[in-house]
Amino acid sequence: MTNVIELKNLTKCYGSLRAVHRLNLTVGEGEIFGFIGPNGAGKTTTIRMMGGIILPTQGEIHIDGISMAADPVEAKKRIGFIPDRPFLYEKLTGREFLRFTADLFRVDSNLFGEKSEEILKMFSLGERADELIESYSHGMKQRLVIGAAILHDPRVLIVDEPMVGLDPAGIRLVKGLFSRLAASGTTLFLSTHSLEMAEDLCHRIGIIHRGALIATGSLDELRRLARVQESDLEAAFLKLTEEEVLS
Amino acid sequence: MRDVLTLLRPRFLSMKNRMASGPGKGRLLARLVYGMAGFIFWAGLFSLFYRVLRYFKNVEVFGDLLAFKLLAMSLITFFSLLIFSGLLTALSKFYLSRDLPLVHSLPVTPEKIFFARWVETSVDSSWMVIAYSLPLFLSYGIVYKAGALFYATLLLNLLPFCLIATTFSTLLILSAAPILPAGRMRSLFFVLGVLIFLLLLVAFRLTRPERFANPESFATLLVYFKDMEMANSPCLPTTWFFDGIRSALAGVAGKALFHTALTWSFCGSLICLASWVSGPLYLKGLSRAQAVQGKRIGFKVPGGFQWADPFRRLPGPVRAFALKEIKTFLRDQTQWPQIFLLGALIVLYLYNFSVLPLERAPAQIVLLQNLFSFLNMGLAAFVLTAISARFVFPAISIEGGAFWIVKSAPLSAGRYLWTKFFIYFVPLFLLSELLIIATNILLRVTPFMMALSVITMLFLAPGVVALALCLGTLYPDFSSENPAQSVTSLGGLIYMTLCAGFIAAVIALEAGPVYTIFMGAMRGGSLSIAQWIWLAGSFSAALILCVTAFAVPMRMAVRSLDEKLDG
Repeated sequence: MTNVIELKNLTKCYGSLRAVHRLNLTVGEGEIFGFIGPNGAGKTTTIRMMGGIILPTQGEIHIDGISMAADPVEAKKRIGFIPDRPFLYEKLTGREFLRFTADLFRVDSNLFGEKSEEILKMFSLGERADELIESYSHGMKQRLVIGAAILHDPRVLIVDEPMVGLDPAGIRLVKGLFSRLAASGTTLFLSTHSLEMAEDLCHRIGIIHRGALIATGSLDELRRLARVQESDLEAAFLKLTEEEVLS
Repeated sequence: MRDVLTLLRPRFLSMKNRMASGPGKGRLLARLVYGMAGFIFWAGLFSLFYRVLRYFKNVEVFGDLLAFKLLAMSLITFFSLLIFSGLLTALSKFYLSRDLPLVHSLPVTPEKIFFARWVETSVDSSWMVIAYSLPLFLSYGIVYKAGALFYATLLLNLLPFCLIATTFSTLLILSAAPILPAGRMRSLFFVLGVLIFLLLLVAFRLTRPERFANPESFATLLVYFKDMEMANSPCLPTTWFFDGIRSALAGVAGKALFHTALTWSFCGSLICLASWVSGPLYLKGLSRAQAVQGKRIGFKVPGGFQWADPFRRLPGPVRAFALKEIKTFLRDQTQWPQIFLLGALIVLYLYNFSVLPLERAPAQIVLLQNLFSFLNMGLAAFVLTAISARFVFPAISIEGGAFWIVKSAPLSAGRYLWTKFFIYFVPLFLLSELLIIATNILLRVTPFMMALSVITMLFLAPGVVALALCLGTLYPDFSSENPAQSVTSLGGLIYMTLCAGFIAAVIALEAGPVYTIFMGAMRGGSLSIAQWIWLAGSFSAALILCVTAFAVPMRMAVRSLDEKLDG
């Protein structure tokens, strides 16, 4: 399996605070990687470095073989980024926001019409596509951001807390979409608080605690590592993070 | 009452905490400068009123009449300002504040929330009017040698006077909110307010007050004085305030007390009425305020032409940001009044040039025309600076929470900033050239001055816009609810100072050579070689300055935006 995401010794410091420390990780093509950890563990910081939103203090990020430091524009072209809080341009309509994203990522104008309609329909935004985003609910904005992120068929989808603000139907839709994208070869990197979702969706899970990656592997591997009998991820997660605190 | 005080406490605590943590170095400097500017303005107002009143006092027959007419007019102006400011503040406090969902989820009755918000509205909308009305009242007290009765009456009347205005505004908002959504109402009031102000401004200017310096207009003034003697309506709070102060100045305590009592009793009744209607109206309006109007106003041009069509030729990312910028700007209704205001000020600017009495001036007309044209270059550049401060300086801050889109987009900082630059530069450059050419035509200047003005503006405009973009990038404020206000920050202050220096330097570098050329032409002689060298040197220095003012800030802005990725 080709490595599409490569993080080497990734470190981020804010003054004396070390938010992320020497993180090494690879994620393969078509893989769904879940990134879990307690509050303030460094999940969002890692995600933001991978999306090119903040620069690392040290280390390297390669997306599809392209260094984020050396050629950020080319690297970003391969990424679909979904932040946890969907701040958008409130005075644009939903459709205009999709057009804006398509222009940014140079989506072929002839393809845009068909693709945007498909996305608007998939996310049940069709009826309100020509209304200003300021009138959308939080969930609708989140669905629009997800739709915009997949518009250019990215090689990598980086998602910070994907289910925040979504209703049960939205959650099911997004889970299905992520599985389909992975099956078609898109690599997904998800940061989440929801252990249930990580368990349901991810091929591999990484646990980050106090800025360091303390465990990676499939659910079975994590359970073995944590030496727990229970079948769910919660027990393994609590045990591993607890051990880390005690050590 | 305890609940009301509890509801007001977060505001006091935030203020206390802000003061305890102290402002940053930059903010402290900005506060000091703005504090000084505010004080100078206050002192200037006092000096102006004092001088005017002293002058009136010495005018026989009409003096007192004029002084009291000025007082009556000022009170009406203050009252109108209080009502207008009250309308906008009440709208935001009662229906648009971000903390409303939290406050209304608390176990407190809507009436108590209403009362707490009313107190905040009254304080926020009145303090500045009170602060800047004091120079006027103090001037009356000093010029008319008033005693304690005047100051006591003033203090006793000022509070209910402000409360009447803000309560009246609150009542208006309370009644309108169940019918109109709050967001729309704010835009409507703002647009109407600015339009009324503009109408008054234009009407005042078109009456050409400078004609009153002409003795031929005296007959008209007599008619005006007759009109001034007419009494104000006895039903207006401004009349009670006016009568109270006038009686206090004359030392008639009974009459002053009567008018003060009238003001207080009306104020009390109005507050009771507001508190009574708040029960059925407040929550109803608040529920309606939550509904945001998503539909946008649009129209189709026959022939299928769309205004965005010319942008289709641009590269994708540039087109994306260009269209986004223009659409968001045009759809933000808070920008409209400022555009109207700008339009009206430009019309007045041009009108002033058209009525300049050059033919009556003692100096030679040609010299004066060209002198004005030269000064006009500086003025037009300052107009450009002011517009850039309002629109270009906040261009980065305006991205707000959506700045993540810029950061995660496959677009370099340089390309993004150049897109922003051209979006603002093109219209602002055209506007400044239009101003220069129009005023020069009105002044009937020589072809040399016309060419010089056009070329100077061609080189000044990129520098002015680049400086605004650079300082806006160095001092962004992504968390502000109103990024347009970021121009009042330290960055805005530095921008205005740098721009003023830049324009003054370019004008100064051109002034000497232009004067030499003019005098040479008027005397019919030719210039010496030394003068030609000086001319070339001076114009070259101006050119180098313009190029530097454009290139250096743009490079700094790109570097700064690159560094912001490290946030």
